[in-house]
Amino acid sequence: MQNMTNNIMLKMTDIHKSFGELEVLKGIDFSVAKGDVLAIIGPSGSGKSTMLRCINRLEEIDSGKIEIMGRALAENGADGRAEYVDEAKSREILACTGMVFQQFNLFPHMTVMENLLEAPVQVKKRSVEEVRPEAEELLRKVGLFDKRDAYPGRLSGGQQQRVAIARALAMKPEIMLFDEPTSALDPELTGEVLKTMRELAQEHMTMVVVTHEMAFAREAASHVMFMADGVIVEQGQPEEFFAHPKQERTVAFLQNML
Amino acid sequence: MDNLLHTITLMLEGTQVTLEIFCITLVLSLPIGLLAALGRISSLKPLRLLMEFYVWIMRGTPLMLQLLFVYFALPMVGIMLPDIAAALLAFVLNYAAYFAEIFRAGIQAIGRGQYEAAKTLGMTYPQTMRRIIIPQMIRHVLPPISNETINLVKDTSLIYILAMNDLLRVARTIVQREFDMTPFVIAGVFYLVMTFVLTWAFKKLEAHYAKYDQ
Repeated sequence: MQNMTNNIMLKMTDIHKSFGELEVLKGIDFSVAKGDVLAIIGPSGSGKSTMLRCINRLEEIDSGKIEIMGRALAENGADGRAEYVDEAKSREILACTGMVFQQFNLFPHMTVMENLLEAPVQVKKRSVEEVRPEAEELLRKVGLFDKRDAYPGRLSGGQQQRVAIARALAMKPEIMLFDEPTSALDPELTGEVLKTMRELAQEHMTMVVVTHEMAFAREAASHVMFMADGVIVEQGQPEEFFAHPKQERTVAFLQNML
Repeated sequence: MDNLLHTITLMLEGTQVTLEIFCITLVLSLPIGLLAALGRISSLKPLRLLMEFYVWIMRGTPLMLQLLFVYFALPMVGIMLPDIAAALLAFVLNYAAYFAEIFRAGIQAIGRGQYEAAKTLGMTYPQTMRRIIIPQMIRHVLPPISNETINLVKDTSLIYILAMNDLLRVARTIVQREFDMTPFVIAGVFYLVMTFVLTWAFKKLEAHYAKYDQ
């Protein structure tokens, strides 16, 4: 327990967010320590994806504070509304995050290898010769080295998602965000993606995963958080959370999922 | 026979003028159109409105009127341009506006997911446009760009009214002089050959860009 603050990778404090009249996040607080795998579960419309997208500024919060590895991305100004750091600073702070999307979002006009090389070469200005061996290693890791010259359109959904994971890892992030990474996949293809994610968790990657996969949450996560109607209803360690849910809403949700 | 050869030689000279207008217009109006499209979707409202106004004027009035305006009206306010420059100015401004609309639609057809993926990888907006969005957009817009380009070949004949000796004007001059319709037929064939070559080239381009299709 000594010097906890140094291990905190991500801290969200009193996050509020509305889309027009609809308040989707009603005061969310949580933090993620190094090596944590946080699974966020909940019914659709509970605000869990929005919450995830607020972490890396794909959505902007109305009020609250977001700290990533000790640096504030946004915090409340004098008027109580969140103020963000400028674009360049924001990019710098978020450089330690990577994201995997439900719809993969690979670049369709680039081969698998080019997808992996793009950001390290364009953003970090590293040379192709330097990055290529790393990219090859990542592709081996996700089991798609032989697909390196294929275009994404030729791959199955599961393969595309594994490439997307490798692409995010190519930027050497400290925190990986997953937004329902298996929801767009046929059931028989979710396994290969979950396997890749489990391996990542075993390597102590810090991960925040919005998911409907209860098995993944139970087996691979170090923490589980249940969200509904824009609030965190219940959270805890997976064994305790799944064996003895305390809130009525959690019990009802888990019954529905099983 | 000699006569026919002479006619064809004259018409080839006219074709040269036509091709000159065509090539220069195309080379200039494509990049200008792309810049105008980026202005049209810019977050800067004045720039957006300015580009919208420009496109509105250029698409809302006849190209013929624009040509006449540049050719006859500008000299009245003291702006003198050489003939060919005047014609090119009108053509480039007009075609860039059409290309801008095609590019804009092409850019807006690309989903948010591509921007988000680029953003989460740390790419800036200019990097995202240059590396991710525009290359994908080009593939989508090839068919409408091809259409406009073929239109341009035919629209070059409008400089006929500016007394420049393009293919159509040469043909008409010969027809009037010799009371023979053959030059019109030859002109038609020439235009067909040019548009055929273009159609073929765009087909090749589309095939090239289709390589990453599903």
